[in-house]
Amino acid sequence: MSEAPVLEIRDLHVTFTAHGREIPAVRGVDLTIERGQTLALLGESGSGKSVTAKAVMGLLDQPNVHVRSSVARLAGRDLLTMSAEERRELRGSGMTLVFQDALSALNPVLSIGDQVGELFRVHRGLSRKEARARSIEMLDLVGIPAAARRIDDYPHQFSGGMRQRILVAMAVALEPDLIIADEPTTALDVTVQAQILELIDRLRRELGTAVLLITHDLGVAAEVSDRVAVMYAGRIVESGEVQELYDLPAHPYTAALLAAIPDLERPSSTLRAIPGSPPSPASVPPGCSFAPRCDRATGMCSEARPALRLLDTGTGRRAACHYSEEMLNGALA
Amino acid sequence: MAPSPEPTTAGGRAATAAEPVLRASGLHKTYHGGMLSRGGAVRAVAGVDLELYAGETLGIVGESGCGKSTLARMLVGLERPDQGEVTFRGRPFFTRGGVPRDIRRRVQMVFQDPLTSLNPRMTVHDIVAEPLRVHRLSPNARAMRDRVGELLTLVGLPPDRMNRFPHEFSGGQRQRVGIARALATEPDVIVCDEPVSALDMSVQAQVVNLFAELQSTLGVALVFIAHDLAVVRHVSHRVGVMYLGKLAEMGPAAEVYGAPAHPYTMALMSAAPVPKPQLRGRSRIMLAGDPPSPVAPPPGCRFHTRCWKATERCAEVEPALEAVGDHFAACHYAERAS
Repeated sequence: MSEAPVLEIRDLHVTFTAHGREIPAVRGVDLTIERGQTLALLGESGSGKSVTAKAVMGLLDQPNVHVRSSVARLAGRDLLTMSAEERRELRGSGMTLVFQDALSALNPVLSIGDQVGELFRVHRGLSRKEARARSIEMLDLVGIPAAARRIDDYPHQFSGGMRQRILVAMAVALEPDLIIADEPTTALDVTVQAQILELIDRLRRELGTAVLLITHDLGVAAEVSDRVAVMYAGRIVESGEVQELYDLPAHPYTAALLAAIPDLERPSSTLRAIPGSPPSPASVPPGCSFAPRCDRATGMCSEARPALRLLDTGTGRRAACHYSEEMLNGALA
Repeated sequence: MAPSPEPTTAGGRAATAAEPVLRASGLHKTYHGGMLSRGGAVRAVAGVDLELYAGETLGIVGESGCGKSTLARMLVGLERPDQGEVTFRGRPFFTRGGVPRDIRRRVQMVFQDPLTSLNPRMTVHDIVAEPLRVHRLSPNARAMRDRVGELLTLVGLPPDRMNRFPHEFSGGQRQRVGIARALATEPDVIVCDEPVSALDMSVQAQVVNLFAELQSTLGVALVFIAHDLAVVRHVSHRVGVMYLGKLAEMGPAAEVYGAPAHPYTMALMSAAPVPKPQLRGRSRIMLAGDPPSPVAPPPGCRFHTRCWKATERCAEVEPALEAVGDHFAACHYAERAS
């Protein structure tokens, strides 16, 4: 791993101001993604995963949002010292975003050819004709049948799965270093979801792009990611290699999530539900955010917030829990 | 919930004297668009038969547009079928005067999104008390209050919060309010349309467990409609798989999931993401394309356009739902379970 990571973010904070109150949505997140790797950022609604994605893309440049981080680098280029103009150029070519809802992400009054072609015209300075030819290639690549014939169609003429493919085509068109996919399959049916996940994974392998996959679905994360980072209440509470993290969770939240979903093969009598609900970003409990819902919590947990620290598994595993060692040892014993 | 084996419902082959609580036969529903619609009529449900027995959970799975929500609305009488009939303990739902009040009382519904299905300007007390008022189930305000408190306790909400408004509750708690409202009239059947899919994953399990608990204590029969295969497997005794307005397969949960006979069911099971990284790279059935539009369903078998087993016969002759082993499938080439 001598090569610099594609994305390196240290200590990212995002704070929204609403009605004179500060709402910290993201509170110190570190992210590192190597070339050709998929990192799944797993979390429930309100955990700050989508805000993290938008902050990385630089899409939170608004008066009521405060974004800061100590390090932000994309393929060795410093995002912090970059001008707004340089950053804008990077979006769409250096890093791209695949949204959840393709119907609202595409412009309904422009044909698909115009929208995909725009990337080539704006970022690569190609002529309309060249851009059109490249667009057809891209639509072919993502498996749109009869791409040459459908290039002049409008978004509403495509099915949900096809629209999502078009978004993926736009995301990979300029061969970016990083694709951020924000719940790319949540609006899709199961059979179509499988197609899109496979498509993103195939393009990652073929183009060597790094992928940051934002999802709430433990199944989706297990299917395509190399590493997983679990977010809870604005912080990463655990991260590690996918197989290891699912087999031996080192944070009670991860363990509880895995126990709370029904298993297709072994329908058990009752699900191990997590009591309570996730805290609102405006009022996160002191100490460990998960302590009020945690079955391992002690007095220490509600007072001292555990830092995300490297565990000595030798695999780059991190967890933010006072009892991670006990959890790992307990599972092995 | 442990879907306890119920001999009366096991194969769907009701070889016993038990009368179903709810029976739907030959349900059809077509929505005609307005003046501006170009597409034509949407055939949401095109011939569904099912039976629901006391105390069982019937799961219905399917992708968006397969007609499962329309089916749910017909099963509670919110939507009148164009053809076919729903009966409650043998009595028809749709009479000239609408659905009889006492049948409405016995068949209730829980909706997907608790935020939009609860009136934001009513307190939780008023929301849960409304069915009591409509069906005149409480003699006075005091009795009503006590009953609402009882119902809230039953679904795991503190009764002292009944004077608050829906927005003061979390998503999971709001869904509990919706369930309390459905339970208020002591129904025999509750139809749940995607009752947990709007909830956070850490909260889903609480609500799934609540349904299980309510069923075992109250003996209410549930129709549980969802797109999440694992959740449906977990709660259901029997499962029906819908595709484009029809049932593709129907039978005991263990059979349908363990030995699917219809290619669509196989594909659906195979496509579902599994939270087990070690199973990655397993051979999966990848269907091509999206489900066709219900405006113009394909002729013959509705699945033949995406099916790898399809032959000419499938494009011409529509397969009927027939017994395959212990369950039913609508496929000319259904795998006969050994």
